Amino acid sequence: MDRRTVIKNLALVIGGATLLPSCIKGSGNYIPLKHINITADQEKLISDICETIIPKTDVPGARELNLHVFVLKMLDDCYKKKDQQAIMKGLGEFNALVQKRYNQSFGDLSVKDREAVLTGIENSHKPKAGGNKPPARSFRPQKDLHVPPLDAFYQAMKQQTIFAYTTSQFFMTKEIVYELVPGRYNAHFPVKNLKTA
Amino acid sequence: MANLNTESVKQRTFDAIVIGSGMSGGWAAKELTDNGLKTLILERGRDVKHVKDYPTTNLYPWEFPHHGVLPMAVQEANPIVNRCYAFGEDSAHFFVKDAEHLYVQVKPFDWIRGYQVGGKSLLWARQTQRWSDFDYEGPARDGFAVDWPIRYKDIDPWYSHVEKFAGISGNRDGIPELPDGEFLPAWPLNDVESYFSDFVKKNYKNRYVISARCAHLSKPNQIHLDQGRSQCQERELCQRGCPFGGYFSANASTIPWALRSGHATLRPFSVVESVIYDDKAGKATGVRVIDTHTKEAIEYYAKVIFVNAAALNSNLVLLNSKSTRFPNGLGNDSGVLGKYFAFHNYSAHIGAEVEGYTEWTTDGRNPAGGGYIPRFRNVYKQETDFLRGYACGLSAYRYRQHKYDGVGADLKENLVKGDLSPWYIGSHMMGETIPKETNFVALDSSKKDEWGVPLLNISVDYDDNDMKMQKDYVEQLTEMFTSAGFKNIKASTNHQAPGLDIHEMGGARMGKDPKTSILNEWNQVHSCKNVYVTDGACMTSTSCQNPSLTYMALTARAANHAVEELKKGNIT
Repeated sequence: MDRRTVIKNLALVIGGATLLPSCIKGSGNYIPLKHINITADQEKLISDICETIIPKTDVPGARELNLHVFVLKMLDDCYKKKDQQAIMKGLGEFNALVQKRYNQSFGDLSVKDREAVLTGIENSHKPKAGGNKPPARSFRPQKDLHVPPLDAFYQAMKQQTIFAYTTSQFFMTKEIVYELVPGRYNAHFPVKNLKTA
Repeated sequence: MANLNTESVKQRTFDAIVIGSGMSGGWAAKELTDNGLKTLILERGRDVKHVKDYPTTNLYPWEFPHHGVLPMAVQEANPIVNRCYAFGEDSAHFFVKDAEHLYVQVKPFDWIRGYQVGGKSLLWARQTQRWSDFDYEGPARDGFAVDWPIRYKDIDPWYSHVEKFAGISGNRDGIPELPDGEFLPAWPLNDVESYFSDFVKKNYKNRYVISARCAHLSKPNQIHLDQGRSQCQERELCQRGCPFGGYFSANASTIPWALRSGHATLRPFSVVESVIYDDKAGKATGVRVIDTHTKEAIEYYAKVIFVNAAALNSNLVLLNSKSTRFPNGLGNDSGVLGKYFAFHNYSAHIGAEVEGYTEWTTDGRNPAGGGYIPRFRNVYKQETDFLRGYACGLSAYRYRQHKYDGVGADLKENLVKGDLSPWYIGSHMMGETIPKETNFVALDSSKKDEWGVPLLNISVDYDDNDMKMQKDYVEQLTEMFTSAGFKNIKASTNHQAPGLDIHEMGGARMGKDPKTSILNEWNQVHSCKNVYVTDGACMTSTSCQNPSLTYMALTARAANHAVEELKKGNIT
């Protein structure tokens, strides 16, 4: 094979990028689920929680990025059945907890109260000081959730919202720069020269 | 009708047949066609054309349905292959799913397979370290298995031959137990890896930390451009297939090369049921293939046959090739076929924190993976209570630490911001295992697969030697890390089943004596010289270096031997 073929192959590489399936992005707020049943109210709750975890700031938040669609897809496809059951049970407990405390639904709460509900759950189940908290480098679903339903629901929501956000096209092109083709390895690189987002 | 048959037989007759199109089969096809032999390449799976059939190669993380995570249904349906580190949403289409080809785990064994043109050469970890006479003389010196019928000098030129073509990056380190080769420039060690390398050199006799040698084009030569390959772009997405041909795979290199010669015919969807042995002619005359679409049996004929189906399937083909002359499998007069099967011991790793070097980091990605520590135990003489030794992979890294507490705007900002972590350093062991008669594979007496081929029973396990070696690795690396000043050292052992190392070897071992081995010094079946076996099945011992480079060299050497034997009329 000659250089021209090399160039042809490279053209395929570059061309390939424009021929990709768009996957689920932009598919609106409806997503067919296979393993769990989600009502319109539940979908709205999940969407509200996503927006509370990753709100709109000077850059887009969960709603604008449609993150809850991806979160639902992950809940539907990437958890074990028993964990899905725990998560759905936890969703019910979450609703009951909000209703009991505020006599309102989550969607009717102020942003401040929404945040308080979520951090309340998070803080009540934090590992004790000195506990062995693993460094969170990945928000891929855990193989098994070994926590009560409310926590399973909260953890799944938080992990998958963060995973959805940090692997979104917006985040990976605007907030950090994910490089598909780095074309370099500098083994001795000054920290001060790192690009900051 | 007779004429039609004659014509049909003619169309199914070749000079050579190569069973398998992966790491070693690709090399057999290349060398045989380079020498003008009309060659049929049989592949049990589908065709995978370079670039065209790498559907995920240019996808960004967000373009995968689950951003890289495999659906639970896939994970739960595939407990075996799901244990492989490279099995993900971007690469699952190149792995055999558990239900696709069953086998019998007499003892736990994770058989990781790639049934497609290119086989596992699309998926390998691309580490390419030569063996030395400390390896080839191992069994004879230490009294296990049988003596290798070759020595380093026999294979040295063939290592060079395949290295030049495949493209191997590395430094000329001048280490006798890890001979230098034909290298493209190495990827460098980072600051912490370099520190450890210098420290080890200064403080230990005969211990070295070098840049891992790997099959990546750091700086392609003309021969690589001629293959249509170009410089490695440090993507580290190799398991998707590389559109640059930056690493060596049969798909990017040997198979298209063989096809361009005009002498090769590639037939995918062809499960080889057996090698046909003609009792009257006293030689193998061809192979019997099951077309996986039609389930039809078809025979192909050739003067010489290369068995490169990957270690376990090559054993399966030979064991299932029964004839009056060979009732227990082709070439199995000795009864050792399927026995003395071995693997690599990957059962421990170690990690630590490193102080200092805070002003420095890395930028981009290192396709070589970092450092490599050649075997230092029992090299020059026996010095421990276990035989042989282990090599170690090594890499140092840091990453951006984010605060994940809470929810809302602060969390969102923290996902971008974050300080770099301290440096961490990690290593894993790659231990030699001792081939034993009690570690074996055999045909199941009743169960067959959908192509009518018996299932393979696999009975392979660790032994005391492996556990002693694991303990020694943990002790030695802990000591080295401690002396080097690393902190918070944590060693861990795992109970991964044999097979997950994906370095399965043996069963049709080479040897000098037909009474105790299957293959001679040229990889010919002792008692059926027109059949060559040159993949992992041929290995007499396992050494601790990654074996693919040695399969490639043995294959190129054997293929050129076959060409000479045909010329001389020793094979007809």
